[in-house]
Parts: sequence; C-alpha cells; structure tokens
Amino acid sequence: MAKVKVATDWLAGCAGCHMSLLDIDERVVKLLELVEITSSPVTDLKHPPKEGVTVGILEGAICNTHNVEVAKQMRERCQILIAVGDCATFGGVPAMRNLCGTDAALKRAYIDAEPVVDGFIPDSPELGKPLEMVTGIGEVVKVDLFIPGCPPRADAFWYALTELLAGRTPIILPPHLFTYD
Amino acid sequence: MTMVNITMNGQKISAPAGSNILQAAKQVGIDIPTLCDHPALVSIGACRICVVEVTGQRTLITACTFPITEGMEIQTESPQVVKARKLILDLLFSERNHYCPMCQMSGDCELQNLGYRYGIDHWIYPTYTKGFPVDASRKYFFMDHNRCVLCGRCERACGDLVANHTLGLRNRGASSMIHADANVPFGESTCISCGSCLQVCPTGALCDKRSAYMGRNIQTEHIKSTCNQCSIGCGMEIVTRGGNVLRIESDWDAEINAGLLCKNGRFDPLYEDRTRVTQPMIRIGGKLRPSSWDETLKTIAEKISGTNAKEIGVLTSSNSTNEALYLLGQLFCKELKATNVGLLNSAAPKLFDKPQGSLADIVKSDVILVAGTDPAKDQPVASFFVKHAVDRGAKLILVGGKDNGLAPFATMILADIGKAVEVAERAGSPVVLYGAGITEKGASALKKLQGKAAFVAIEPGVNTRAAVAFGFNNGFKASAAKVLYALLGEQGLESADVLKDVDKKAFVVVQASYVSPITEKADVVLPMAIWSERAGSLTNTEGRVQKVSKAVEPAGEAKSDWEIISLLANKLGKKLATSLDEISARATQELK
Repeated sequence: MAKVKVATDWLAGCAGCHMSLLDIDERVVKLLELVEITSSPVTDLKHPPKEGVTVGILEGAICNTHNVEVAKQMRERCQILIAVGDCATFGGVPAMRNLCGTDAALKRAYIDAEPVVDGFIPDSPELGKPLEMVTGIGEVVKVDLFIPGCPPRADAFWYALTELLAGRTPIILPPHLFTYD
Repeated sequence: MTMVNITMNGQKISAPAGSNILQAAKQVGIDIPTLCDHPALVSIGACRICVVEVTGQRTLITACTFPITEGMEIQTESPQVVKARKLILDLLFSERNHYCPMCQMSGDCELQNLGYRYGIDHWIYPTYTKGFPVDASRKYFFMDHNRCVLCGRCERACGDLVANHTLGLRNRGASSMIHADANVPFGESTCISCGSCLQVCPTGALCDKRSAYMGRNIQTEHIKSTCNQCSIGCGMEIVTRGGNVLRIESDWDAEINAGLLCKNGRFDPLYEDRTRVTQPMIRIGGKLRPSSWDETLKTIAEKISGTNAKEIGVLTSSNSTNEALYLLGQLFCKELKATNVGLLNSAAPKLFDKPQGSLADIVKSDVILVAGTDPAKDQPVASFFVKHAVDRGAKLILVGGKDNGLAPFATMILADIGKAVEVAERAGSPVVLYGAGITEKGASALKKLQGKAAFVAIEPGVNTRAAVAFGFNNGFKASAAKVLYALLGEQGLESADVLKDVDKKAFVVVQASYVSPITEKADVVLPMAIWSERAGSLTNTEGRVQKVSKAVEPAGEAKSDWEIISLLANKLGKKLATSLDEISARATQELK
C-alpha cells in the first residue's frame, strides 16, 4: 500500500507543537512506515507538493498576509487539515497583540523598546503585512480537526494520526487527550 | 411533604413540590451544568448554561429557575440542549480573554470544565480584543476582569450572604464589569475581605494569591474543622496538600455559619509570620537551651511539687481546646489545689443560668440591641447576621459610640443602655447581643428584657466559655505567683501585659506556639501545636461544642495543647485521663 502523504508547516508559532509531534518518540519509526512526510519546516522541502497530500498539519496563528497565503496553500493541497496548538486554534500567545493593537505593538517592539537606537518598523516588500487582528487558522480556512494545547500532547498527535490512518476522522479528541488541567 | 413525579432522561423521579428541575436532577445524580447558579445563592437563570428540554415547552428553559410539575418530561442532554450549551459557551469564550494559567494548574474552574465537557476545541466567533484591568489592590486575593463571565455569583454572595453590598455591576452588555462601591479599587472599598466571593467564583477571575499554583484541586485534602479565631465557631475546611495548609474554605454545611467566613478566619491564620517555638527549652546558666520533652517536663514537675499551692499561678489563653482547659483545671485546681488562676481575656458577664437564645435568633429578630461588643471587628460572622437582619428591615440599636464597626448600620446609637432597653421592650422579637464591655448596671438593665428577648453573649477571645466553665476567669494575681504556668498558645503579647507584675524571681513556664518577649524571659518553654496541627474541641459563644481537626503534623517537636498538660500530669503522678476521646468526653460532660 502506498504511504499516506502528510505535510506540515508553521505560521505565527514557536515550533513547540512540532517538538511535541516528535515527542511521540520511538513511535515515529512506526509512523514513518505508514506515512511519508512530504514537506515540513524541519525537512529540506518546505512547501506541500502541488499534487497534494492527504493530511496537512498547521501550527501557529494567523498574524500577517504571509500566514494567510501559507494557510490557503495548505488548504488547497490537502484533503484533511489539522490545526494544532493554542495559536492555531485560538490565536494563542501572538493574539495578545490584539489587546493593544498591531500598530502599538510594532511601535513598542521596533521603536520604543529600550535597547533600540534609530529604530524603524520593517516594511521590506518580501515580508508579509501584519494584520489588524491575530486569529486562529479557522478564521481564514476551513479546518477539519482542532487539537488545542500549548503544546498538544504527543499522545494527542499520535491518536489523531492513527485514527486517520485507520480511516476514521475524529471530530473532537477524547477528554484525556483534550483536557489540560 | 408533597412529592411531584417527573421523568428525566427516561428515568422516573419523585421530588418534593417546590423543587426546581436542577434540584430534582441533583437528587438522583443527574448532572446539569451551572455557572451562575450556586446552592447557597438565589437562582437567577442568567447564564443559561443549565437549559433543558421540557416536553410541551415552547423553548429550552433554565433548570435552576423552573419548578417541577406533575408529569413533566425533561431531557437534560438532548442534541438540542447540547447544541444550545455549546453556543452559550462559544459566546462566553468570545467575550474577554480567557487565557488563564491558574485554572490549567488547579483544574478548579467551572468554565474550563464545561469547555472540556462540551468539546470547545476552538472558537467559532472572532476573538474579543478589549483588555480589562486586573485589580490586585486587596491583600489576599485579586480580580482579573478578563476572566469574568459576569455570572453575578460574587455580587449575590456579597449582598445576599454577607449582607455587605460592596459588589455591583456597572456598564452594559459586553462592557459590564463587577465593581466595588462607586467604582473604586477593591482595596479601598467597603470590602471586608471575607472571601465569600472568592469561594463562589466559577472561574479564575477571583483568585487566591497564596494558594494559586499550589497544585491541582484533586491532589488536595479537605479536612472539616472549626475556626478558632473567635468565639462564633464557624465550620471551615482546611485545604492541604502534601502536609501543607494551602487555604481555608468555608463549610457550606456548617450549622452556625452556613458557608460564611470572615477575613480573620479565612486568611489571617495563613499569613502568620511569627517564629515558631519548635522544641522544649530550659534556662540553664541564664540562657534558654534545647532539651528533651522528658527532661523539661521533669524539671517543671519537680518545681511544682516543691511549691506551695498558694504560690502556684496559672494563666491561660482562651485559644485553647476544651480538652486542654479541662485538664488544666483538673490538674492545677483540683489535684494541686491552686487558686491563683486566670484567663488572658475578659469574659461576658453571666446574665442567666440557662441559655436564652442562639445566634440563629439574630436573623429572625425585628430589633437587635448590641451592647459592650464590636462584632464587626472581633466576630465578623456575627456582624454578618446582624447586617442580614438589618437588610430584612430589623432595627439595630447600638449602645456605645460611633467607633463601633456596626455604627453605619445602626438605626440609633445610644449612650444609655436603659433607653436602649426601653426601645427593645416595644419590639416584637428583640435579640440582645452583649459582650464583656457591659457594666453591672448595664447587665441589670438588660435583664429587664428577660422572657421577651433572645440573649446571645458574644464572648471575647475564642474558647472563653469553656475557660470560664472550668474555673478560669478574672482573679489572677501575678505578684502572688512563685511558679507560673502560662498557657499562652498562639495568643499574641499585646493581651499578656498582666505578666509585667510577675515576680522577677518567679519560675515561669510558658506553653506557646510562637516566640515572643515572654518566651524569651521564661525559665521553661514548651512548644505547642497551632490550630491546624491539633485535634480536640472548642465551645462557641452559644455553648455549642464542636470538633477541631488535625490537618497537618505539628512543627518540630510541638505537641497539642492538651497533650502537653496530660504529659505533665503524668510526670506529677496525677492520674488524669490520657486518651483524647476520654478527655473530650469528660470535658463535654462538664460543659453541659
């Protein structure tokens, strides 16, 4: 049987969710027997292949226009899209920016910050434009499965992937993988 | 009792008439979620999370406010109900920033639990971005408005339970905020920091500064005990984890306070910063040196045995258990025939031989006469009862000055107790609260109300009633004592000025929990367990004997107050009861 293709990418996140995915430890060997990771931020190939993948995994919030492009491309190229982590599901830490507004946050970071001398707000054309509001991925594209957590447990990743491999699409994770108190 | 038959989730239930759907469900263990509802508070049906489906009803209805009727058919988790609850949660989470590390640590958040229960794994509405302030101006707990769901439990606890009316709501809609008085910081408001709002808050909006992050709620133990900060004797729960006291919560089932506690009882004991006495010490060569219990008790026993009974002085704090006071009386007064014995605080005068009322009479009365006591300061929970009655229309007559904590609530403040009695005589069901501050003349004036009014003595101190019953009251002459046994316990020095007159050459034994100028001067110091480390019982101001429980191990070599006296009695060769149960039983018998 051909391997199931999986692509991952990150947006405004900290890579912690990808670390948590790797925390499935030796199960990663078994996983790689069944799936092919076509692209990810930690492999040579960064973009999901044009011919598409079965499962797309996105970490991080929607923070700027670049994030929107990445999310939309992943959505177009995958059949099942999973949003992982609190940033991708709720906005998470980057969404704290919403409390003061994007302009104030940029000014504070690039101009008013104590160590800054002659500061300016980066506006190079290749950079994505910051959005007024930081949101979860669900605000921009349709998401098939949300796995919240900061980061989600390795077992939550394992459960979601093995369920998908078994041909079942979990809608909400079981409570022991979903709760964090 | 008339019973009403209903069907809930296909199950046939009989519940008392007048119950609402929520109460009927609780009775058979069907869990209907709630946020704004609380068993101790009036149901207002504001949050809508308890909605259920009732056959024949036009819409979903709130279980917390809807009374059951014969033949009612109810579904508590039907698809329509679950959908509605999810919508409500989505809306609640869409307002304010609910990132709350506290609840993730404690698992003690009703909102979080509901999010888990109904699988809220993402938000369907745009994030609400308005930031709200955090008010940490109170010493013991803070309020983060960003986590508030505006359920109004705190407001109802403040107004309806404590009758303090500090909290209210201001603004409208999504901008609504809980506020104190006319929107002043909590720390500068009329808030009395009783913590009732903290205990009923379903989210992390109100959070205890001391015990936040101190572990998951399921890892804690809740030990029922009795508060020992004043003579009211409120039921409380000592919350511990791994041998440490995290916090004190009130006991909703307690007969006296029914879930109320005050700042003195809920917070102050946890912020104690005096140094503990942790081992027995004997003065050798002018210096206190650590010693063993055996050696120390032997030294005391030898000294006492060689002293004339008239020259033995005994002074006790009222913050001692019934058991300790009983043994102290048995050992020193009965066995050793000492007569120079006393109590560190005064006691309310005894007006009658038989009890003429109880604390429960306060809320039922129409006129309350308060004389010689300041419960708002010293017994706050009693003042809650008074304020509650005033809310209900009762008149408060205060004998004394405007400096009394109840003065703002008084209908009249009179200097002359005789006039106050005249007013009370005209009432339907007056109640008299009197303390140690009334004069003999005042006492005889109050007696005119006998038969008409309920009388409740508000004793100063803690276990004063038991101390008096076991013979410890005024009459101690410090100068006459050649050997002084001072059961200081946890009591501070400010009330122990009496020791100034003690003969410089006298042999002073101090049984205390904390280091103080008195322990520094003592010849022998015995380390005593504090409130959370001892078992026994206390007698409240009504004469009710209630158990106190040991929640954690005593610090160092400290022992319970009664155990120390029991061991000393043994060393003196006096055969007194030795087991706690036996001592308790005998003490309780004598108190009757």
